[in-house]
Amino acid sequence: MIWKMLISSVVAALLLVQPTSADETCMSPYMAKIVGQEDYVYIWTLGLEGVGNGEDKLVTVDVNPDSKTYGTVIHSLSMGGRNEAHHSGLTDDRRFLWASGLDTNKIFIFDVHTDPAAPSLHRTIDDFVSKTGGVVGPHTSYALPGRMLITGLSNNRDHGGRTGMAEYTNEGDFITSVWMPTDDNLQGAVKSGNFADGYGYDARALPRRNALVTSSFTGWNNYMMNLGKMMGDAEAMKRFGNTVVIWDLHARTPKKILDVPGAPLEIRCAWGSQSDYCFTTTALTSKVWLIYEDDAGEWQAKAVADIGDASKIPLPVDISISADDNHLWVNTWNDGKVRLYDISNPHAPVQVMEEQIGEQVNMVSQSWDGERVYFTSSLLANWDKTTASEGNDLQYFKLYNWDGETLTPEFNLDFIELGLGAPHQMRFGAHALYGGATAQSPSGLASPTAH
Amino acid sequence: MAPGYAPLSFTPPEPGTYGLPAMGVAGDGQVLDSQGRATNLHDYLGTKPTVLSFIFTTCDDVNGCPLATYVMRSVQDALQADPDTADKARLVSFSFDPVFDTPDVIDAYGSQFRTDNFDWQFLTTSGPESLDPILSAYGQWVIRDYDDNGDYTGTMSHILRVFLIDKNRNIRNIYSTSFLHADTVANDVRSLLMEQ
Repeated sequence: MIWKMLISSVVAALLLVQPTSADETCMSPYMAKIVGQEDYVYIWTLGLEGVGNGEDKLVTVDVNPDSKTYGTVIHSLSMGGRNEAHHSGLTDDRRFLWASGLDTNKIFIFDVHTDPAAPSLHRTIDDFVSKTGGVVGPHTSYALPGRMLITGLSNNRDHGGRTGMAEYTNEGDFITSVWMPTDDNLQGAVKSGNFADGYGYDARALPRRNALVTSSFTGWNNYMMNLGKMMGDAEAMKRFGNTVVIWDLHARTPKKILDVPGAPLEIRCAWGSQSDYCFTTTALTSKVWLIYEDDAGEWQAKAVADIGDASKIPLPVDISISADDNHLWVNTWNDGKVRLYDISNPHAPVQVMEEQIGEQVNMVSQSWDGERVYFTSSLLANWDKTTASEGNDLQYFKLYNWDGETLTPEFNLDFIELGLGAPHQMRFGAHALYGGATAQSPSGLASPTAH
Repeated sequence: MAPGYAPLSFTPPEPGTYGLPAMGVAGDGQVLDSQGRATNLHDYLGTKPTVLSFIFTTCDDVNGCPLATYVMRSVQDALQADPDTADKARLVSFSFDPVFDTPDVIDAYGSQFRTDNFDWQFLTTSGPESLDPILSAYGQWVIRDYDDNGDYTGTMSHILRVFLIDKNRNIRNIYSTSFLHADTVANDVRSLLMEQ
């Protein structure tokens, strides 16, 4: 009976079809989301030579505490080689998980609905570069209604940072592509500062404001270069993005280019129905930036907080906004820390917590209820550390419980010891999304208010 | 409440100033019209821009099918108010509940919303064997609910999707709850008409 009641709530949730999700708080607002206990975490994992079969993998970990296999790897799907596995994203119906390779430009589409405990490869896109007219480095897979938006990092002409975005149907058929605005082709956008670099990285939408926000990283020449070599190359270090672009979401045309110097990476937009702002962090200048619509309806960008000591290059990487828009988790790869900011006043974030997670912590994903926070290591194959400064804690998937004040370790999977590789992006799965339920504890789902 | 119930909170791009790239050919299949006549879905697509929504009449989620029909009616009103568009577009509401939504039921449902002179069609199917291939073609998956005896309860969950289809039966846009608003849908229809 309880099962039936819970499933009923799931049905109601899906009927709303409203958007949202966040890792669960960090995904597309067009997507149904898991608001209860997630059953699985799908981890897009970079293959490492000498570790297991050395191939990229989609690794499935059982994270439902009521399951007999809780806290273990229950499935691993190898890709036949290494692609510079990096980011992944779910379609709006959460039936497919898209995961891409920054080096080979392949996009793997996994079926996660037929058997959520054992994803299967549904389709591989291997003509991304030619279809898009030269975009290289498929990065973010972001769900829009019935389609996926894929951001690029580079191009096939000079492998620098100028790049574009592409759209595909949920089935994986190419629709269109668009290049990021540059000084020599602003495409109608207003250049509001000093830069119009045409670089790309992440994308997030605020549908209620008809806004699409994109950030900027660096091109193939840099992200495939050895980190130490790149840091010592003054010319290479000049080739990082310094912009955030505001797009007309409906028209997919750039409207305004904002200066955000120092490689703005992940973008997380607030969920509140009147919250017309997003956050990003800059990898090289170590700051939290607020991207917001001012009282006059103009989009603006301003640095609102420091992240550690910028002179020590803590290298902020992934961030995660809480479902209530009150907190922002910020990982810093170089010092292995997570910091929590109170962002209840988005114009003046305050750091309220700092914790050592492990070497080269990169991605952070929290449950919608905020009670569970997952972390993975690994940034890029040629940037990751190969030896740990102490212990064996280089490549991991960790779960912490969060009570609002303290992070308490729950489990830690060593991805090298397990022969898996370097874990990167995490996405959540649940049987209840597809009308099923786990034996003991169906997941609660919902679709909160739209932007 | 979904944005589609309120005034649009931004100024939409002008019709004809943006692209609506084709997303593939709209699926076909056997359907029943509101008079019970067997026909094909493609008979109601093509020749002019069409907005197609998947609904079921007993859906009570305010942000689901009722939203779709509310927006469709608003699109009807907007296009009908302009002599240049009044007879140049079509709306199709397609039921994915063949058990309850018989032709008589959808005809009665439709009569609450369509005006006499606008091309708004209400369709259903004879059963799952006709319905399921159409749903699959549009990626419109549905979870049907069954009781303890394995009997269909008449309720289901689904992802709300509304499709914009051009005169050549190509899908040109897809709207879900956050995206569905009469002003933008009507502008998209106008954009397609400007291509002709």
